[in-house]
Amino acid sequence: MENSKTTILRNRPQPNVTYPLKVIYCGHCTLPVEYCEYYPEYDRCKLWLQQNLPAEFEKLISISGGIDDENSEEKKRQKRGGKGMIKTKKKEGPKQICVSRATRGKKKSVTVVTGLNSFGIDLKIAAKFFGTKFACGSSVVGDDEIVIQGDVKDDLFEIIPEKWSEIDEDFIEDLGDLKR
Amino acid sequence: MFKKFDDKENISTVQQLKSSVQKGIRTKLVELYPLLEGYIDTILPKKENFRIVKCHEHIEILINSSGEQLFFRQREGQWLPCLKLLHKYPFFLPSEQVDKGAIKFVLSGANIMCPGLTSPGALLTSVDKGTTVAVMAEGKNHALAVGITLLSTDDIIKINKGVGIENCHYLNDGLWQMKPIK
Ligand SMILES: [Zn+2]
Repeated sequence: MENSKTTILRNRPQPNVTYPLKVIYCGHCTLPVEYCEYYPEYDRCKLWLQQNLPAEFEKLISISGGIDDENSEEKKRQKRGGKGMIKTKKKEGPKQICVSRATRGKKKSVTVVTGLNSFGIDLKIAAKFFGTKFACGSSVVGDDEIVIQGDVKDDLFEIIPEKWSEIDEDFIEDLGDLKR
Repeated sequence: MFKKFDDKENISTVQQLKSSVQKGIRTKLVELYPLLEGYIDTILPKKENFRIVKCHEHIEILINSSGEQLFFRQREGQWLPCLKLLHKYPFFLPSEQVDKGAIKFVLSGANIMCPGLTSPGALLTSVDKGTTVAVMAEGKNHALAVGITLLSTDDIIKINKGVGIENCHYLNDGLWQMKPIK
């Protein structure tokens, strides 16, 4: 067998090391930072590192290549079954914005926006903003819903991320036409 | 074990332990992991009250007074360390290293297959079947999973097919994400 790589040594506490060790965990994905490259939102991990632990960020960048390397290596080696998908952590409540269109009367329609609250956005201010932007009526309904008079659904995908940079277009879900 | 675990849904009760029971667990842990002997008082201070969180599927999690998860087990099996604890005291389990290509599979909860443990990037510590091991990875310093060997390492090398280590707890699974219990 070519693979006789068993080492006989078991682990031992290392001399000159005090335990417990302090491991640096990523503030975004919670993994030890060396595993961030496997997290689906690696870009956000990097952003967090850059802002909070610049020294670690430098280290990571200098040894990176990481996952891309590995992919090409894998092609050479062997195909492995399965998907190997790493789940992103569950959000505190669903952090998502939903937009939909609803008909009102025969010809008129309104646009409904829900979920702005989950991003900590003041709904009153948001409603006012939409009203000015589209020059139409816009009001807060319920605890996390804004109704805009008129069909502006498609415009929202551009305008929301523009106004609130923390909301990526991917966070906005198009629910299509809804009956009210 | 914790692939679909959710701390809001899967916890049944949190139980305060009698001091005699605490003592029994402490003794048991040192028996299981002799290298912990000098550190057990730091991990489970005698004066502190630790608790057991009982969860669905006969899973029990041992937590300390501040609610951090320390060890877990299923169906009265052996106690396995939680990764956050193992990261603090990485020496007390034998480590088995997978190659780089296996990392993302382990992180998605897959069991560890023999070929990932025998390829050029892998490294094995010689152990018997049924041993609790730390799963390490090529080029990384910290464990990414805790598992139990389903084959001895000799057989892992010899057979080199199928599952070699059962993946019991891995980075970012439900136990990893569990919030401290007050
Ligand atoms: Zn990260």
